[in-house]
Amino acid sequence: MNDIGRLAVCLALLCGVVSIIASVMGGVKRRSDLVRTGEHAAYATYGLVVLAVVILLHALLTHDFSLEYVAAYSSTTLPTNYVFAALWGGQKGSLLFWSFMLTTFTMIVEFQNRQRNRELMPWVTATLMTVSVFFLGLVVFITDPFERLPIPAVEGADLNPLLQNYWMMIHPPSLYTGYVSASVPFAFAIAALMTGRLGDQWIRSTRRWALFSWFFLTLGNLFGAMWAYEVLGWGGYWAWDPVENAAFMPWLVSTAYLHSVMIQEKKDMLRVWNMVLVLLTFSLTIFGTFLTRSGVISSVHSFTQSGLGPYFIGFLLLVILTAGAMVVYRLPELRTSGTIESFFSRESAFLFNNLILVGIAFAVFWGTVFPVLSEWVRGVKITVGPPFFNQVNAPLGVALLFLMGVGPVIAWRRATPRNLWKAFAWPVGTAVVAGIAFAVFAMPLGYAWATFTCAVFALSTVLQEFWRGMRARQALLHESAPRALNRLVGKNRRRYGGYLIHIGVVAVFIGVAASSAFRIEEQKTLEVGQDMTVGDYTLRYDRIETHEDGHMSSLAAVMSVFRDGQQIATLMPEKRFYKKPKQPTTEVANRSTLKEDLYLVLGSFDAETQLITILAYVNPLVVWIWLGGLIMAMGTAVAVWPVASEREARAYASDPMRVPAE
Amino acid sequence: MRRLGAHWLLLLLLAVAVPVLGATQHEVEEALTCQCGCGLTVHSCNHLNCGSGEPMKKEIAERLARGESKDIILAAFSSKYGEKVLSSPTFSGFNWFAWVTPFAAVLIGASILTLAIRRKVRAPASAPVAPSVTPTGDTERRERLRRELDDDDRE
Repeated sequence: MNDIGRLAVCLALLCGVVSIIASVMGGVKRRSDLVRTGEHAAYATYGLVVLAVVILLHALLTHDFSLEYVAAYSSTTLPTNYVFAALWGGQKGSLLFWSFMLTTFTMIVEFQNRQRNRELMPWVTATLMTVSVFFLGLVVFITDPFERLPIPAVEGADLNPLLQNYWMMIHPPSLYTGYVSASVPFAFAIAALMTGRLGDQWIRSTRRWALFSWFFLTLGNLFGAMWAYEVLGWGGYWAWDPVENAAFMPWLVSTAYLHSVMIQEKKDMLRVWNMVLVLLTFSLTIFGTFLTRSGVISSVHSFTQSGLGPYFIGFLLLVILTAGAMVVYRLPELRTSGTIESFFSRESAFLFNNLILVGIAFAVFWGTVFPVLSEWVRGVKITVGPPFFNQVNAPLGVALLFLMGVGPVIAWRRATPRNLWKAFAWPVGTAVVAGIAFAVFAMPLGYAWATFTCAVFALSTVLQEFWRGMRARQALLHESAPRALNRLVGKNRRRYGGYLIHIGVVAVFIGVAASSAFRIEEQKTLEVGQDMTVGDYTLRYDRIETHEDGHMSSLAAVMSVFRDGQQIATLMPEKRFYKKPKQPTTEVANRSTLKEDLYLVLGSFDAETQLITILAYVNPLVVWIWLGGLIMAMGTAVAVWPVASEREARAYASDPMRVPAE
Repeated sequence: MRRLGAHWLLLLLLAVAVPVLGATQHEVEEALTCQCGCGLTVHSCNHLNCGSGEPMKKEIAERLARGESKDIILAAFSSKYGEKVLSSPTFSGFNWFAWVTPFAAVLIGASILTLAIRRKVRAPASAPVAPSVTPTGDTERRERLRRELDDDDRE
């Protein structure tokens, strides 16, 4: 069975190569039969990769410890859901999983474009299959998940206990989806460069893919933050770890692209810039994969060190140099004559928004690679940790939040003083009042204050847009408020979906600023019955509860939580001790409200004296970050939902006899 | 004048980026990286019996009690563990590049962008009078309605 798996990945690699050759020849010679052959070979690649994944999953679920991968990342006592997650829990399996996702997306793209974009498709197929062949090549030649042990193991070594968390089922697939689907806009960009069809077509064809990729990158980052918050137990959710940075950078550049592409669609400008952003987003996904798998930069997320680094760097260089050369070659055709009429215009605001987003991405990249650079130049190892990233990115983040308020309401082309007054009087007035109130009643002047004030400004501009649009419909069409709002959003899904996303981002900014600036923390060693205070809460240590099964043992401190003399909760922070490998983990106890989280970590326990040490944090507004993510997800759903005209057009296309309604 | 403005902006950005030097236990712990491999600062490392973080916290407290400044404490740790113990690059020598480069890149980008926009902005005399997209006056509501009723999402 496992030999069939090995054979499947080898054949998949072969089919991938056939697909590339046939597609390129079909594209060059304009022969549709070769193009179709390339596409069929891509379908075959997908089928073979699916077969390999199914066989590896079967081996994991049946505890086939003759395979090195199964023995290294699972065991007979590991719960089934984590056995399933072991598919992407180790280096070898995750590369196969990556290939699976990429070939799945390739198949969807082929299916979507079987009748359209026919000139672009050979190059799209060739590009996507080149990326697939790279990953399948690693699977076949370097990291074979079907490698056999000389003597089958009696029992597996188990999955790393830190990964034995329900987020393991959610976070990596989300992030991989975001990473891998960035290949689709990249492939269309390359196809546009190859064919010289540099207009809007490739952008329109990949609009939803770009948003899809961005959405899953957003989710991947947020889910990773939630996981870290729940599991690592240091009271925070983002540590600027190199691998976190690697997931954040493509998100930033992708966000910049989603804004600047609007200018190309409206004004036929920024063709070069948009092309660069798409290429950069994809390159950063490969760079992120390189960071995770090379061991060049130490990170808590890294897979075990491997010799994959040079392959990823080689592939990254190939991508950058090839795509860069193609952009330079097409530069005369990419240049457009679009003009900007004024500094005070939406075009300018979007350009500066792009500058800040790419600037933050660069700052994160710079901080991530600077230790390596320092070692090369000075021979001295240094650390670039959270204080650096916080200090460098805080002013840029505030500037971004401010521009997020300006962009949606400033006029296209040229804003007159009257326009500016009408667009900004209310938001600026609200922000000024809020800023004064914050300074007087709540917080000193600083980044947190600036973030809160700019957040009020950005939120006001978006709410004003909803309000004015709704009122206009009510006044002229005599619609009820809910109906007017519903129709307003329904008729302009992309725009109002984007505004909803902005509201979500504002909530994330507020949560991050509050939880960073106003965190309260206490640490105390307690006897049974003794209490401690943190913020408004009093915590009483009642007893220790223990639990043991074949997989792990745990002990939990039962803590009664009081506020204003009333018991409001019982929290049980835990320590778990896994048996394979022998490793303790922290299970945080968290009482989450809209106002703040009470976050308890059990530090140590002395069995003789029953003394425990508790770390208690009060983290304000953390829930706002997760709610912000939820609002962003809703906004994305609104933005990508097909509008009535598209649904009708598709129905018409699928049934030519049907006459569209007038 | 414009160049002067850019320099002020750079100074302002650097000023807000430079950490305020103080000598509280929390600040010193945040300025040092725990050596247990957790990748966090000494303050954030929550391995309570951590073989690295706990002795470092204790030493910081002792040094602060002796009246040592943050700089002296950081220098002492740096000489003991190497520069990698500091959680951020120092403001000296080659490390300046770490701090200055991101802001310099954004400022250079902003300058290029400003020049590019200026070049693209039509000279007012030669430009045809273009109606603003954001409507004004009595036509505003009608124009807004037209925009709302227009399906922007249509391709």
